[in-house]
Amino acid sequence: MNKLTIYIDDKQFQAEPGKSILEVCREHDIEILTMCHLKGVNDVGACRLCLVEIEGMSKLLSACTTKITANMVIHTKTERIKKYQRITTELFFAERNHVCAVCVANGTCELQDLGYKVGMDHIRYPFLFPKCEVDTSHPWYVMDQNRCIMCTRCVRVCNEVEGAHNWDVKNRGYQVRIISDFDTPWGESITCTSCGKCLQACPTGALWPKAIVQGQMKKNPEIIDELMERRKMIL
Amino acid sequence: MNRQDLKTIIYAEKAKVENNKYKHKIGVCCGAGCISSGSEEVLKKLQEEVTTRGLDHDVEIIPTGCMGPCNQGPLMKYLPDHTIYQKVDCSNIAAIVQSQIIDKKPIEHLLLFADTREKPFRDAREDPFFKSQLKIVLRNCGQLNPERIEDFLVHDGYQALDKTLCEMSPEDVIAEIKHSRLRGRGGAGYPTGLKWETVYKYVNDQKYVICNGDEGDPGAFMDRSVLEGNPHRVLEGMAIAGYAIGATKGYAYIRGEYPLAIKRFETAIKQARKMGLLGTDILGSNFSFDVEVRIGAGAFVCGEETALIASIEGKRGTPRPRPPFPAEFGLWGKPTLINNVETFASISPIIINGGEWYSEIGTPKSAGTKVFALAGKINYSGLIEVPMGTSLREIVFDIGGGMQGGGEFKAAQTGGPSGGCIPAGHLDVKMDYEALTNLGSIMGSGGLIIMDQTSDMVDVARFFMEFCMDESCGKCLPCRVGTKMMCDLLQKICDNRATQIDLDRLEELAIYVKETSLCGLGGSAPNPLLSTLRHFRNEYQNRLIRHEQKDQIEVPSNIQV
Repeated sequence: MNKLTIYIDDKQFQAEPGKSILEVCREHDIEILTMCHLKGVNDVGACRLCLVEIEGMSKLLSACTTKITANMVIHTKTERIKKYQRITTELFFAERNHVCAVCVANGTCELQDLGYKVGMDHIRYPFLFPKCEVDTSHPWYVMDQNRCIMCTRCVRVCNEVEGAHNWDVKNRGYQVRIISDFDTPWGESITCTSCGKCLQACPTGALWPKAIVQGQMKKNPEIIDELMERRKMIL
Repeated sequence: MNRQDLKTIIYAEKAKVENNKYKHKIGVCCGAGCISSGSEEVLKKLQEEVTTRGLDHDVEIIPTGCMGPCNQGPLMKYLPDHTIYQKVDCSNIAAIVQSQIIDKKPIEHLLLFADTREKPFRDAREDPFFKSQLKIVLRNCGQLNPERIEDFLVHDGYQALDKTLCEMSPEDVIAEIKHSRLRGRGGAGYPTGLKWETVYKYVNDQKYVICNGDEGDPGAFMDRSVLEGNPHRVLEGMAIAGYAIGATKGYAYIRGEYPLAIKRFETAIKQARKMGLLGTDILGSNFSFDVEVRIGAGAFVCGEETALIASIEGKRGTPRPRPPFPAEFGLWGKPTLINNVETFASISPIIINGGEWYSEIGTPKSAGTKVFALAGKINYSGLIEVPMGTSLREIVFDIGGGMQGGGEFKAAQTGGPSGGCIPAGHLDVKMDYEALTNLGSIMGSGGLIIMDQTSDMVDVARFFMEFCMDESCGKCLPCRVGTKMMCDLLQKICDNRATQIDLDRLEELAIYVKETSLCGLGGSAPNPLLSTLRHFRNEYQNRLIRHEQKDQIEVPSNIQV
């Protein structure tokens, strides 16, 4: 297959057509921050962290959903993008009630890592402190809306990988919430198979197994992609 | 039905009109605006009055679509002379029938604008409100009964479809539309011909045409009036588009808040199917096309094309990143053409009169006419259609009759929550896509709200921001959280609790949300804020707590300093 020539941060690369900018960057160890992207499920371009500047385009485009084209000139680390990544990170923290010190995912949390990566020393925006529910009705797992960042990775994993479609989204705007079935308690869900993939997919401590405490969460989000690759081999 | 049958029907219908057994024809506006001020009772009462007087065989009464000056409703029009009566109520119908039909002279003090003009015009077309307008999209609105296809056929209805199917190839149609320089009337102003050509070029066994009737801007009602007043015109435009791009199926996405528009459009579809103007083998041409209505459930974001497609597919109405554009990957993954109601309504006049004729109207870069929903602090508000390039001054002072109560013009808000404002200093701006963009506003779908000196621009920005915050779908972070943060900051400024730091933060957030949001809703949500900041920054500055005032701030008793 003919490879395409693209330029990322003033370096030339060859890549197969049909790949997204993010895939090419990851192959060549060019860091692109992401939150809603999860290898193995479809991309939605919702977190806006992976925005890149493309010459000839007036808009910033999300690297995860934009396919490469021949002679594309991409900039991933301009001052403007760095500034926006910082604001995005701050808004993630200000949106819900993220308290690392009491969180099960402390140390394995992607949001926490993101804060370090963008050098966030404080948050300039007032916290919204929304009132959020904690759903403990499932016998094994807990869903804590306070720690949810609405990346919808759990929704996509449940739908695309497990095929159960237990998770979905309700409401709109800043009042969106992840729901189980038609907004029933998780424990009463008739679609949930208790497979636990959503726990692995979740970037924060919003989904976690019962009987663990602060900082004990073990995460392996790559398992989703491994699973999908193995399925391809069987087929 | 083939071409000849259609001609026969039209001839028969025209003959009926020419040998009219009726001597008089009265139209009563039955657009949603006039109905809400009681035009249905007026229609009923008028019918009774005519029957009691035994004039049944002389007077024909029809319900019509929107006539224009909506705030003067209910409106009644004596069609032969174009005499319009305003604010008609059941008590003065007897007098109108007596005077207009029997004595053959109008009642001066009930005529349109009689209460504000020194001398009202008997022929409403002479009135400055109508004289400065050029009606192409709205041409037959207010003249025909929108629930009768025969009325539309008499007014050259489906002639453009007939012409395209029998005389033109799809390439010809696209060339004609390109030549007309028509631009999408939904707001962004993308050249319609180019869009059609793009969809035409994608080869696929199935393509779709979608009519976007999810008009959600506060204060805008252009699409509603077109759908209510002349639904067949939109249907005809969709069928022509289907022929041009090679689609066999169309969807009309109309918001659920427009029950009358939905009802009339569905009636129109049924009638067109019955006449063979929709369905298989239309007019004996081997072209098949059918249209279905999809009802929106009240989300503003579903006016965004990718969210609209998701909604038609039965999914949650949230946008997705583009590219791929719907022209390539649209409804159910097929190439899809999405145009606004007004765009489709502009198609048949272009086909009949030619692209050349259309391109000569308006300005070099924006051809044709634009329908505006004129509202706010002006004397005559309602639905107007003017050539592109008409100055704002003409719209406000000639058509709109000047400011209400002799107030002072302060600003005009265009494009609703995605647009901006035009201050008094730019009253002479020629209204077209480029001129408005240069002023930091947008054409938008056509909402035009006029404000006087009593309007508080910070509050205007806060109102639109609150609207966008409520209507954000919540998918992408900048729009979901950014609009909430901006709304809170604007509220803080409105309450005189903010400082310069808050204003700086607000501006930074506004540009951030504009540049990073996933779809057009977030991308344009900061526009009213940025535009009011550009033209009325002093109103923001005056509200801020200045450093030397910090000792005067009253600290609530429950807060310890």
